Parts: sequence; structure tokens; C-alpha cells
Amino acid sequence: MKTEEHVYDLLPAYALNSLDEEEKIIVEAHLVDCKTCQLDLESYKHVVDDLPLAIKTKQPPADLETSIFEQLGADRQSPELQDRESWLDRLKSNFLSSAPVWGAASLVLVIVLLFSNLYLLNSLRAHEAIRQTDLTTVAMDPTDYSPQATGMLVISGDGEYGVLVVDQLPILDDTQQYQLWLIYDGQRASGGVFSVNHEGYGSLLITAEQPLSSYPAFGITIEPTGGSPGPTGEKVLGGEL
Amino acid sequence: MDFSKFDDQTLMKLIAQAQEDALRELYDRYNRLVYSMAVNAVGENTLAEEITQDVFLRIWNKAETYSPKKGKVITWVSSITRYRAIDAIRSQQVRPEGHSVAWDIEGSLDNPDPLNVEERVETTQRQQRVRHAVAQLPEEQRQALAYAYFQGYTHREIAEVLGEPLGTIKTRIRLAMQKLREYLEEEDIAKA
Repeated sequence: MKTEEHVYDLLPAYALNSLDEEEKIIVEAHLVDCKTCQLDLESYKHVVDDLPLAIKTKQPPADLETSIFEQLGADRQSPELQDRESWLDRLKSNFLSSAPVWGAASLVLVIVLLFSNLYLLNSLRAHEAIRQTDLTTVAMDPTDYSPQATGMLVISGDGEYGVLVVDQLPILDDTQQYQLWLIYDGQRASGGVFSVNHEGYGSLLITAEQPLSSYPAFGITIEPTGGSPGPTGEKVLGGEL
Repeated sequence: MDFSKFDDQTLMKLIAQAQEDALRELYDRYNRLVYSMAVNAVGENTLAEEITQDVFLRIWNKAETYSPKKGKVITWVSSITRYRAIDAIRSQQVRPEGHSVAWDIEGSLDNPDPLNVEERVETTQRQQRVRHAVAQLPEEQRQALAYAYFQGYTHREIAEVLGEPLGTIKTRIRLAMQKLREYLEEEDIAKA
């Protein structure tokens, strides 16, 4: 790779997560197969990890500890989290098992929710293709590594475009991202890398050389930031067409 | 059981097994760090307390997702705190530009894992090096770095808040990070 193609100047801000979206996409695309920049990024991430050590610390109020431990209760989860059913679970059950009328309503809901996250979708053509054709959905099943995780993959009728939405995946630190794998005949092609927010929610506009409908199976693994040529980490979700 | 004798990673395993006293010990070690990061991010105490509470409840509920492969516990806790605080800023539309981040460039040192001697020495040395490195930066670079790290602002947002050209902010952040990396790597080599 030529030196001028590297993204050295953007890496410090990428490590801080302070790039604007367009620059972030450029960096992530470059990182996929540039070991030099991956290493450079790692060194900046160490700097970011150390920054909290440089702040002046002070004691929180004494009653804060009491308040926290009162909320733990006997259960593993706080009441807030106990009551929290994954929106994706609700969406899946509504979408996949409803009567036709409600199914249509759910479909609208799916599209609204998906497109609210599609800032990556810079192609109106892709947008129209997904909206106007029959959608295929693939429910992604969790593994033992992340039994609470849920996911859904939605593929446009012509198989050209797809969107992945996940929820309740484990939160990763800055050195790791999730990577979608498109599986065919034992071979795995990358469908893109993505991160999740503090609730484990994330989405990905999928790009692939072949129509997505030609891949009978999909998987998501934990990989180093920027992705790997093939799966190396824990599998967290999987599904079949 | 005396939980204070356990290192951070052992505490995380015990928390994953619902050992409440293990979380209490982890709280003793990191409550100052979490709370102070939150205060620096949102600029006010009440919201910082909510964030601190949420971070420790999250540690309680998600301890099984922590793996030593992800790095030290302090890094994991800091990362959760940082993103929880940034999320609070964005969801509550807090605009904390009115306060300045309290970088401690000459103050006393904390010992997050006080009973693990090796960890304590390493952390204390690291803390000294990081604080010294930050102290070397020009004030305007420290300021831009603080907005990016604690408030989660993008280049564009920082430029808007500070009323500076976008290119100036990009340069400040890049130079700050390059200098910190250079300084810390030099220190690591000297230490080795």
C-alpha cells in the first residue's frame, strides 16, 4: 500500500472517536487491510486508555454507595434491566408471527426503525431498493458466549442490499469490533465491521460482492478493530437464510 | 471473606458470580475515578452521581462479559464510564462547555488497586507519567483533547463550541495525541 493512501493524520482522532462520520468511514475502510495503520491506531488507543489517569479525582457523596447497593437486590439485574425486554425481541415476535394486517404494520415499523439508523446509507438507490421490494428477514440466534444477544438481518427482495440490527451484545473496548461473516460453501467473506453502544445496540449496512441472498448462512464474531481477513474471535450470533 | 486481598480480575469473576461484596470492593477502588470522570464530562454533580450509579449497576449486570483479553479492569471501567457520560450528554442535551476539565497535572496520586503492590506501583508510575505528559501540552491542546475525550465531541462540534476554524481543532487534537504518544513511549523505553 502506498504511503499517501495511509490515514495517519486521522488515526489520533479516530482513537478518540471524535471524527465526523464521513472521515470515520474512510478510516474504517482503510483499516480493514492495512496492518501499518492498525498498529499505529493501537498505539493511540493506549494513549486514550491512559487519559483518565490524568484527571483530578474527588470523592462522591457518601450516600451514593448505599443507593447503588440498595438497587442490586437479590437478583442479578436491576429492576430497570429486569423489566427491559429487548425491543428487537418484541419487533421480531411482532414481525414474524403477526396476522397479515399487523404484519404489514410491523413491516412499516421495521423500515422506520431501520432507516432511522441508516446514516451510513448514502445511496438513495439502495434506500429505494430496500423500501420497494419484498424483504427477507433472518433471525440471528445467540451463542453461549452472549446468550442475551439478539439480532436481525433484513435483505432486500433482489438480494442486493441488507441491514443488520443487533441488540444486547457485550460491550467491547476500543481494541475490538464485531464483524459480520457471509458464509457460503465453508468460505467466509466479510460483510462489514461495526460497534455497539453502551446498551449493546448497533446496526450495519451490509456490502458484499455477491447478492446477499446467495449466502445461506451468516455469523458475527468479535475481532480486532477494523476487522480480520477471517473469523478469529468468539462467535456471538449466527443465522441461516 | 476478605475481598480486599483479591486483584481486580478476580473481583470481576466474583462479581459475575453475584458476590455483592466483590462489587463493594471494586466500588471502593474506583468510585473516585468513575465519579470524577462523570463530573468532568457533564459538569454537574447530580447527573454525575446518576452516571456513577449506572456504571456500577452495569458492572454488576455485565461482569460476565469482561475478559482479561479486553485489557485491565480499570480500562474497562473507564471505557464504560466515558461512553455512559457521553450518552448522557447527548440524550439530555447537556452542553457542558461552561466548565473546564480538571486535569490533575501536579496534584496528588490515587491508588485504584491499593492492596496489589505490583499493580499499585505500576499504576502510580503510569499515573505520574500520564500527568506529566498532559502537563507538557499547550493549554489549547489540552482543552480540545478534553472536549473530545470527556464530552465525546467531534472535531466539528469542538470547533463550534470554541469558535475556532475546523482545521485548527483538527491540528490541535492530532498534535496533542502525537505528543502524548511520543512522550509515553519514550518513558516506557526509558523505564525498560
